[in-house]
Formats: sequence, C-alpha cells, structure tokens
Amino acid sequence: MTDGLLLLVAGAGAGLFGSLLGLGGGILIVPLLTLAFGLPLLTAVGISLICVIVTSSAAAGVFLERRVANLRLGMTLELFTACGAMAGGLVAFLLPERLLEGLFTALLVYVAITMARRRDVAPSVAVAQTPSAAAVEAPGPATERPARAFVDRLSGPGYQVERLGFGVIGSVFAGVASALLGIGGGLIKVPVMHVVMGVPLRVATATSNLMIGITASASAIIYLLRGGIDPYAAAPTAIGVFIGASVGSRIASRIDLRLLRGLFVAILLYTAWQMLQRAIA
Amino acid sequence: MTASNPGGQDGSATGAGSATSSRDPDPPGLEHSIARLLSIGIYVSMALLAAGVLLMLLNGIGPLSGGPVFDLRRLVPDLAALRPAGFLWLGLLAVVATPTARVAASLIGYARRGERAMAIVAVLILIVIAMSVALAQALRG
Repeated sequence: MTDGLLLLVAGAGAGLFGSLLGLGGGILIVPLLTLAFGLPLLTAVGISLICVIVTSSAAAGVFLERRVANLRLGMTLELFTACGAMAGGLVAFLLPERLLEGLFTALLVYVAITMARRRDVAPSVAVAQTPSAAAVEAPGPATERPARAFVDRLSGPGYQVERLGFGVIGSVFAGVASALLGIGGGLIKVPVMHVVMGVPLRVATATSNLMIGITASASAIIYLLRGGIDPYAAAPTAIGVFIGASVGSRIASRIDLRLLRGLFVAILLYTAWQMLQRAIA
Repeated sequence: MTASNPGGQDGSATGAGSATSSRDPDPPGLEHSIARLLSIGIYVSMALLAAGVLLMLLNGIGPLSGGPVFDLRRLVPDLAALRPAGFLWLGLLAVVATPTARVAASLIGYARRGERAMAIVAVLILIVIAMSVALAQALRG
C-alpha cells in the first residue's frame, strides 16, 4: 500500500518535472526506480518506456489538435527511431547492467550541463530564427526531384526541412538510446530537427513528442515479451506520471522555470553520482 | 509563421482530396481524428491500469512484490477471474498499442488522400513494429 503510494507520488513528480521542463520524464524515472526502490535497471528501463509512451500519447494529442506537431515529418523520422529502438531493445538484454548504468550516468551529466547552460528564449524568437534558405534553392537534376519533392512535402508553413539524411541518422541514435536507457530520445531529436534540419524549436519539440510514442513502443514490446516489465510496479508509476504530466502542462505558465531548472540540475548531478557509485561498486 | 499562431497553419488548410502544394499542412480532419484516438487510447489505458491497481489493493498485493511475466494465454482467464494481472497487462498493452493505432489511422488517412509516399512510410513503421514483436517472441522461445 505504502510502496504503491510512493511509486504513484514518484511517478507524479517525474511527470510534473518532465512536463514543466519539456522532458519525457524517463531521465528521472529510471534513477528513481533503481536508486530509491531498488528495482533492477532493465526493469526500471522497461517501466520508464511505458511512462514515456503515456506522456507522449497524452501530449501528442494536444499538439496535433493545436496543429503544432508536423505529422508527416514525425512519421518519416519515427520510421528510423523505431528501427534504432528495435535494435537497442534486442541489444539491451545482452549488455552488462554496469555498462548501462555507466551510460546512464553519462547521460545524466550531459542533461545537467545542457540544462544549466540553457537560456530562456521566447518562443517567438526561436521561431523567427528558423532558416529558410532552401526556399530559394534552384531545382536539382531530374533524378533528385522526386526526393526533393518528398522533402518539400515534409516542410511546413514558414520553414523548409533540410538535411533529411542527418535527421535519419540522429533518429536511429535516438531510438537506440531510448531503448537502452528508457528515455524518449527528445534530447537528441529536438536539437537535430531544430539546429540541423531547420525546423522551428516549437515544432521540433512537438514533433519529437509525437515520435516518442512509436520509438518507445518498438522497444517496450520487446521488454514486455521478454519479461522486462513488472506490471505491479509499472501501473502505479504510469498513473502517477499521467497525473503529474497533466498537472504540469496546466501550471507551466505560472512557475518560475529558472528556479526549477536549478533544482533539477542539482537533482540530476546528485543522481549521476549515485548511479556512478552503483556502476563501479 | 508567427508566434501568435503556434501551429503556423490557418484554417484554410486544404480538405481531403483537394490539390496540395508543398507548404500544405496535414488535413485537419486527419490530425483531429488522430488526436482523438490518442486521447481515447490513453484514457482507456489509465482506466484499465487504475482497475488493476485497485484489485492489487483489494488482494493485498504490493507493487514491489514482483509481478507475473506476460502470458497472452492467461490474459482472458485473469480478466474473467478479476485478477489484477489481467487488467494490468491489458492496460499496458493498450499503452503500447496506442501509438501503433495512431500510425494505422495515419495510413488509412493518407491512403484515402492518395498520398502514396506517406502511406508507404506508415506501412514500413507497422512492419518494424511487427518485426519487434516477432523477434521478441522468437528470442523468448
């Protein structure tokens, strides 16, 4: 009873933090389940993948209704994240737990540094900085036209999708990372879409959120069928994440994100230290 | 595209079946249907998981006591006997299946609009998901 309540509260906290800071929540769920509840890392990753799908499905619906997410681009890239996730899901059961813990520690430190260096940028500025150079590109040879036409179809109003190949490579990596570490992979997909492919930040974030569902599903199925998901621990955590993420999306505009981000960085670094100790113990 | 119009897409988006240019957004009908599908999927999943957690409480099962491994053959008997595992597994399957259902709905939507390239992308995603299931089953055996 108490454990169930604690898992629910922990899930709600991860969902709340995640939605306020634009993360899937997996970065907090895995260390919470391993360090605070003593679950094996693979079980924690499996449960985290379920939670990540929950947050993605809940948020993606809203993003699609508001027409922020780019469905065509998301579907094209998620084909490759799903391939990466399938490969990662199969490999995860072969890797030593210590190696996964070491990788997770590195991820925690990376996210903490990224968060600490992030500046608040108004969405309008982020959108206005979108490059649109490809809009004036001359048409290529006849053999390139069908591919160019396909990429054109992935673009949205006010922006042109560029360098789809880099997006494909980034998506495969995001899929592998998602399956191995139980995260959504937005930490890789959003920068690739925004910085490399020229997609506005807001659209990139929403599209990444949409993609996370399929990315995590491809590996969650493997975890589920191979006994990597504990339904007793997964259910209260997933319900908590759903509640936390729902609350977070409603109060996000009233929270001082700078203070929250500072706290989050401190938690991440502390968690990284704990995870590192576990990896080398 | 402006910040005041987050989607950057106005209400004059082309309807199904009309000619589209490279800047045309996805049809609002398709996006609306997919959004509804995702909402229904997630609420159904949460309801099933909540029912499972309630049954766990009634049966005195702790969440850290180690749950059963998934077995499709036990799903219906567990549900019929009101055992928590049945509801929990069905809820978790609903969670995992919701994004796949979204891709299937997109496939139907794009096929109806005659967008062959996007329909093929959707089919390929479904094939990858099917391969995940098949590989996991094979390795399990």
